[in-house]
Amino acid sequence: MVGESKFNLFGVINALLLICVGIITVYPIIYIFSISISDTASVVQGKITLFPRGINFDAYLEVLKDKRIPRAYLNTIFYTSFGTFINLLITAIAAYPLSRPNFIWRKYWMLGIVLTMFLNPGIIPNYLVVQGLGLTDSVWALVIPNAIWTMELIILKSFYEGMSDQVREAALIDGASEYRILFNIVIPLSKPALASIALFYFMGHWNSYFLPMIYLNDSTLYPLQVVLRDMLIFDDGNRSSLVEAAALAPQAKKNATIILSMIPVLMIYPFAQKYFASGVMIGAEKG
Amino acid sequence: MKRDRQLLVLFLPCLVFYIIFRYGPLFGLTIAFKDYNVFEGIFGSKWVGFKHFANFFSSSDFLLLFKNTLALGFLTLLFGFPIPILLAISLNELRVKWLKKSIQTLTYLPAFLSIVIICSMVMDFLSPSTGLINKLMVALGFEKIYFMIMPEWFRTIYVASDIWATAGYDAIIYLAAVAGISPTLYEAAKVDGCSRWKSLWNITLPSLMPTILIMFILKTGKMLQIGYEKVLLLYTPTTYEVADVFSTYVYRKGLVESNYSYAAAVGMFEALIAMIMLLSANFISKKAGGKGLW
Repeated sequence: MVGESKFNLFGVINALLLICVGIITVYPIIYIFSISISDTASVVQGKITLFPRGINFDAYLEVLKDKRIPRAYLNTIFYTSFGTFINLLITAIAAYPLSRPNFIWRKYWMLGIVLTMFLNPGIIPNYLVVQGLGLTDSVWALVIPNAIWTMELIILKSFYEGMSDQVREAALIDGASEYRILFNIVIPLSKPALASIALFYFMGHWNSYFLPMIYLNDSTLYPLQVVLRDMLIFDDGNRSSLVEAAALAPQAKKNATIILSMIPVLMIYPFAQKYFASGVMIGAEKG
Repeated sequence: MKRDRQLLVLFLPCLVFYIIFRYGPLFGLTIAFKDYNVFEGIFGSKWVGFKHFANFFSSSDFLLLFKNTLALGFLTLLFGFPIPILLAISLNELRVKWLKKSIQTLTYLPAFLSIVIICSMVMDFLSPSTGLINKLMVALGFEKIYFMIMPEWFRTIYVASDIWATAGYDAIIYLAAVAGISPTLYEAAKVDGCSRWKSLWNITLPSLMPTILIMFILKTGKMLQIGYEKVLLLYTPTTYEVADVFSTYVYRKGLVESNYSYAAAVGMFEALIAMIMLLSANFISKKAGGKGLW
């Protein structure tokens, strides 16, 4: 009996602690959302602690009127979709030869590729290469220098290796070329793995701010994250804290922008659980 | 052979990519030993040997950066490493299925938010005028704290927000490892009269050990590679003295002040240290009888 009650106490405390952890995790996000749809007066008076008051969507309309944000939004959509497409295409093609046991010099190619995970020359040489190729101030600067993420390449390569050889061999006997086998058999059969790495690439592009910040000078090309950074972190009373009144009013607008930038990410979030977890796992195993 | 040729064609884009964008920059590191000049290019610039390294090591920045990088890395590891393990274990102990699932889903939501959003939320919550934390403190009769401009708060803010953002995501790996433990072990323990607490201590933890070790090596190896994108967003000139790390310094010296060669030398030093740390962590783990990465 004593053991039984102890076990219960342990379970209850554990559950309570975890509920606290869950609340701490989502609280900031709900708070941001509540501010974004509350009326200005309540925000200014600091009445919002969790739930919104005087619900309205003025802040969102205001965001859409500010020319910078819709343009940045479109830029991000373009960079993300184009970038992810290129990433997937090149990774899917490159992983195939590397997964063939009889591919010439395969061991050396793999060694060369894996080594790059440990040799990190830093931002300056990378910047000079991108600049030297004349890629700056274009979408190519965001897409080409990171066309392949080594970890994602390895994940896909091991997925290809684990595929059953039967269909491939049947195709070989029929005289199919390697190109045909790749595009008509291997890639269509790899959808789960491709979805998993697509998710990583997508998140990488959608959330990246540093590369666009250093490679793009023309502000009309800025993606959302760079505009967000300018809006949220560098141009307000947050830092000086003296411009109190002025900083308060746009609070709702800022938060509306944050929420807008999260929408696509939150939309893929339910699917992410499945694919992300498996990707993380393979990544961890391969270490 | 024809097949080899076809495979090589498929491999070509990858090869070109790695040569230009992964090995090219390594070659570009030679500018750390030159006085790089935009007009003369990497080849044309004059060799100067270890001048930039010597300048860096003798400057007062060196010790400061070393201290800051080490402190931030060490604190992140000290507090950030055990928390995902604890989270995974206690999630595993939670027997209410739907609650377990929802909390797990919630805790890794922040992993999907961009660093810009996370930092802006941090600043929002800590703001002296509108921030909830300061409002709470005022309500409780304390003084306002200007968190973001006070050096003594920077490390706490950095580490705490890092944990908030990554704990749930990092827990995934441990959760998977826990799920892989054979249920028969627990049943046997139960028959032997082990309490939940005891089987956690005698079965769950030891089974997790290999995963924990591997993750520890990886994290130690990356200890110096502080999330510079985050530091860049969170620091202010008043907090440079505690926040400036190698990579932010490289960014400022190189890309902001166009001091390419000097910055490349600093970056090279950082990369070298990081590699040494990874190699030694792996070596120690192997010596200790555990598994290494290779």
